[in-house]
Amino acid sequence: MNPSPVPTLRLHFSLALLSAALIAFQLEQMQALAIVQWHHFAYLIISVALLGFGAAGTCISLFQETLLRNLRFLLPLSMFCCAVMMAMALPASQGLVAGFDIGLLFLDPRQSLLLFAGQLIYLMVFFLGALPLGLVFIHYSSRIGSLYCANLIGSGLGAVAVVALMYVLLPQQLPGLTALLPWIAGLLVIQRRNLQLLIAGVMSLQFIIVVIYSPLQLSPSQYKTVNRTLDLPGARISASVPSPYGLVQVVTAPALRHAPGLSLTYGDEVGEAAAAVLNNGDWFGALRTGERKLLDSTIGALPYALGGRDRVLVLEPGTGADIAHALYNGAGRITAVEPHRRAVEAVVEWSDREGFQPFTDPAVDLHFMSPRTWLAVDRQHYDLVTLPAVGSFGGSSGLFALQEQYLLTREAFTEIWQRLGPDGVLRVSAWLDSPARNPLRLAATIAETLDGVGADFSGHVAAVRGWDMITFVVKRTPFSPEEVGLIRGFCERLQFDPLFLPGLDPQERQRHHFSADRDFLDQLDRVVSPRRPEFYRDYEFTVQPVTDNRPFFSQFLRWKSMPHLLRLFGERTTPFLELGYVLVLISFVQMVLSALLLILLPLFRLGLPGSKGVRAWIIPFFSGLGLGYMFFEIVMMHELVLFFGHPIFAAAAVISALLIFSGLGSLCSQRFTAGPTNHARAALLVSLFLLLYFFFLQPVLNAAIGLGMGWKISVFLAVVAPPAFAMGMPFPLGLAKLGGYSRSQAAWAWGINGCVSVVSTGLAAIIAVEFGFAAVMLLACLAYGMAALAGRRTEKGVMIS
Amino acid sequence: MFLPRKNVDEREMLPKSAGVPNKEITMIGANLFRYKACPGGSCVPSGPAVTLAMLVLLLSLAFPFARPLSALSGSAAHAADQADQYEGKKAEMVASQLAGRGIENREVLEAMAEVQRHLFVPENLRRLAYGDFPLPIGHGQTISQPYIVAFMTEVIRPAPGQRVLEIGTGSGYQAAVLAELVAEVYTIEIVPELAQSANNRLRQLGYANVKTREGDGYYGWPEAGPFDAIVVTAAAEFIPPPLLQQLKEGGLMIIPVGSPFHVQHLMLVNKEKGDRVTTRKLMPVRFVPFRRAE
Repeated sequence: MNPSPVPTLRLHFSLALLSAALIAFQLEQMQALAIVQWHHFAYLIISVALLGFGAAGTCISLFQETLLRNLRFLLPLSMFCCAVMMAMALPASQGLVAGFDIGLLFLDPRQSLLLFAGQLIYLMVFFLGALPLGLVFIHYSSRIGSLYCANLIGSGLGAVAVVALMYVLLPQQLPGLTALLPWIAGLLVIQRRNLQLLIAGVMSLQFIIVVIYSPLQLSPSQYKTVNRTLDLPGARISASVPSPYGLVQVVTAPALRHAPGLSLTYGDEVGEAAAAVLNNGDWFGALRTGERKLLDSTIGALPYALGGRDRVLVLEPGTGADIAHALYNGAGRITAVEPHRRAVEAVVEWSDREGFQPFTDPAVDLHFMSPRTWLAVDRQHYDLVTLPAVGSFGGSSGLFALQEQYLLTREAFTEIWQRLGPDGVLRVSAWLDSPARNPLRLAATIAETLDGVGADFSGHVAAVRGWDMITFVVKRTPFSPEEVGLIRGFCERLQFDPLFLPGLDPQERQRHHFSADRDFLDQLDRVVSPRRPEFYRDYEFTVQPVTDNRPFFSQFLRWKSMPHLLRLFGERTTPFLELGYVLVLISFVQMVLSALLLILLPLFRLGLPGSKGVRAWIIPFFSGLGLGYMFFEIVMMHELVLFFGHPIFAAAAVISALLIFSGLGSLCSQRFTAGPTNHARAALLVSLFLLLYFFFLQPVLNAAIGLGMGWKISVFLAVVAPPAFAMGMPFPLGLAKLGGYSRSQAAWAWGINGCVSVVSTGLAAIIAVEFGFAAVMLLACLAYGMAALAGRRTEKGVMIS
Repeated sequence: MFLPRKNVDEREMLPKSAGVPNKEITMIGANLFRYKACPGGSCVPSGPAVTLAMLVLLLSLAFPFARPLSALSGSAAHAADQADQYEGKKAEMVASQLAGRGIENREVLEAMAEVQRHLFVPENLRRLAYGDFPLPIGHGQTISQPYIVAFMTEVIRPAPGQRVLEIGTGSGYQAAVLAELVAEVYTIEIVPELAQSANNRLRQLGYANVKTREGDGYYGWPEAGPFDAIVVTAAAEFIPPPLLQQLKEGGLMIIPVGSPFHVQHLMLVNKEKGDRVTTRKLMPVRFVPFRRAE
């Protein structure tokens, strides 16, 4: 019995709300889980959970008759259940997630179970949300164009809305509100009174209201800096400021001190910091990092040993220590560029209370944007440019291996070089790690940059080593003998060792700080020498400079070194495996295996592709679409981060524009459902677009990067709209073609697309790390090409099942 | 299933799920389960089946109490078995993880063999206590991998008569190992819960030469200084000047650098004559780059 048709507008609106909720939930949970554990753990949970979409497709394909027969009941019920799960997912998983101990992951099998349980909880949310979407697409396939349009536009608006809400609401306050959307969506699709649905609706609303009014407090892992800091006597969270960049917290504790790179000759008191600023529970910086004498006794004071620096550019100043240091040393004009506005606002507020006001000093000119974008538009020259220290004290176990660090690429260093005045210097430090990685890559980056601008490393670079840090100073003009003498005096006074200095005696390199690793100095020398390609080839870790195409500075893993490292370190190899990257690989394998299962399962009922009327083009066509779309989205986010200078704005703009224009394309596709191969033609059109973009996208964006924001938005829309519009067509056209032939296969196709879309995110990350974002764009083009080729096959038949 | 004999009253007691007709029930339950009429009209079940059921019930009630009883006689054997197991694991740890990796100081090896590491870890992780890895002890802290503890202890060259300061008591394990080797150990822990539990544990285990303090390790323990050696397990990005001041001339300070679950390297700080301080970066695992043929 076919259920009576739902009024069109309500159905479309319901789908839009549900879609908005799903993407909003995905983004907010990524942030919440990143606070509780780390970003990579959040990725591990959410990336696998998104397979709920694929699972819904498989479920519909297998039980399509039963589900469609009960559509009138199932549609609202599944939306209500989705709403409840959205509200309850974090509370339900909190005990599991907080109890998860990443350090025991490879030791205690129970940790894997906790992880799996967390993934399962979130998978249920996406499954329950995707199920009604899929059912509607299949049942109303004649209106797939407009329905898919509602789905895409709803998703786009949901992404924008949640980013906006992240500025005003704490992470734990978001799920309850988001859960209202699928609940309202369920209400909209109730066609006639049903006691069971009424009860379900009322009960689910009760759950949601409880969560809204009593949101669960997030419990970060005991290993997160926030908890370690709160363990200090008298410590407390004095402020919490939400932002899409992360939850900013100001923690005050009497015993908090911070003095990185402090000389061992410093004998005075290291004063207590007024507060620590944390972002998503991780260290961001400390307030009131000391008086002038303390700062002048750190390794970072090296540039000031050469004399006053009047015009200073501080990139990513964090809590302002470098700004304060420049002010103490008489800087007349300081330009500070920091992307994390909320964190700086928290610092400014607290600094005012403590009388320490680096950001609001009249000499400071503050800009909130990506430093790379600033470098692209700025035309000033500086006496000193400072970068934040590379790496972290004690290492980070590779948790930042997949973090894009545009400030540490060769292109960035070249741009910084262009900003140096005649006697200008760049100062950048690296924490020492074992085995050596960060200092080597940093040295290689400096060396290759100087090669590129025709400058000699030995004359333009000084490097100094403390017990835990190396500081490089790169000068625009060669160091004079007087300056060399000043650097030597600095080292002697503060008991640092010079590592690179014009006219350096090898004996000087280890007078105060020694290393049992005798190869370290040799490695440093080799990596800055013309023979560095051999060193890159031979060293166990990949340390060659990164580029804008592959900006993963903290990714050092080299697969071919694995056997040697395992032999050397045994089970202690794990920390050196760049855990962040390993987790992406683990989740990728998990996703692939699960996706394969979900894709193949319906074949037991449908039959093999090409047999029993099962369309052979389904897998390559819908896989190609899923792969290509996600790849393109990821590349666009990467390109536009630099273009706009605001990563969050860029991500929200890309996601929303892509989805909205795709939705419009989907709406227009309804006019073209008649043609037997129009879906393939649409895919071919997209493939051609992407081929064009592979060659011309970056030059266009580079040319426009210096324009004002209004023009930039125009360029962005001109760049994104055409391919996005075209991308909205192949899927509904293909689904419409299938829907008129076999609903089971249409459901299966939808599930394939969902599974492959999810797998694509992990695959894109791996390809970007290994081959760069240009390769991802090329593969997107090829994926749509594959879909176009597959969709060209025209098969006859009238099966309706 | 014991079914009641059929009579007017007993029929009402038939479980609704019983699928056996009443006649058969009567035959099945005829002698095993019967009701004795009691004064006041109440029925009391009796018969061999009832007796057996009562016995089973009593035994099951007694079982929880029987466990401690058996524990009195059997737990000693159980505890002895466990103690043997731990001793075995400890001996294997010393042989393979420590001596087998180049820990040569005999006193250090004896100290590691003496200290019962499993008593310093949470109970649910005791089975892993002698494994070649660190373990969580709460508050985001860990008990270090046995090799790292032994390596650090060996590096600071402990000797009888010495006085050693530890910043970051944690579980108290490192302090206990040091206590086997030196005259006095002073240990400071800033997290109150950890300080308390470590203190209690060290007292219970009889480490009278370990003095614990709850407080900020930045200031060291000036009234007990100077120290022959200082172990800074709660490492920060800088070395507190008071600690350097409380280190004797010729004294050694050891600082493990790394995140909770792995030590990247160790910093050995040597206070030489004239307040000259040198550092040496030590790696617990010698990283030997793979040398390809030239």
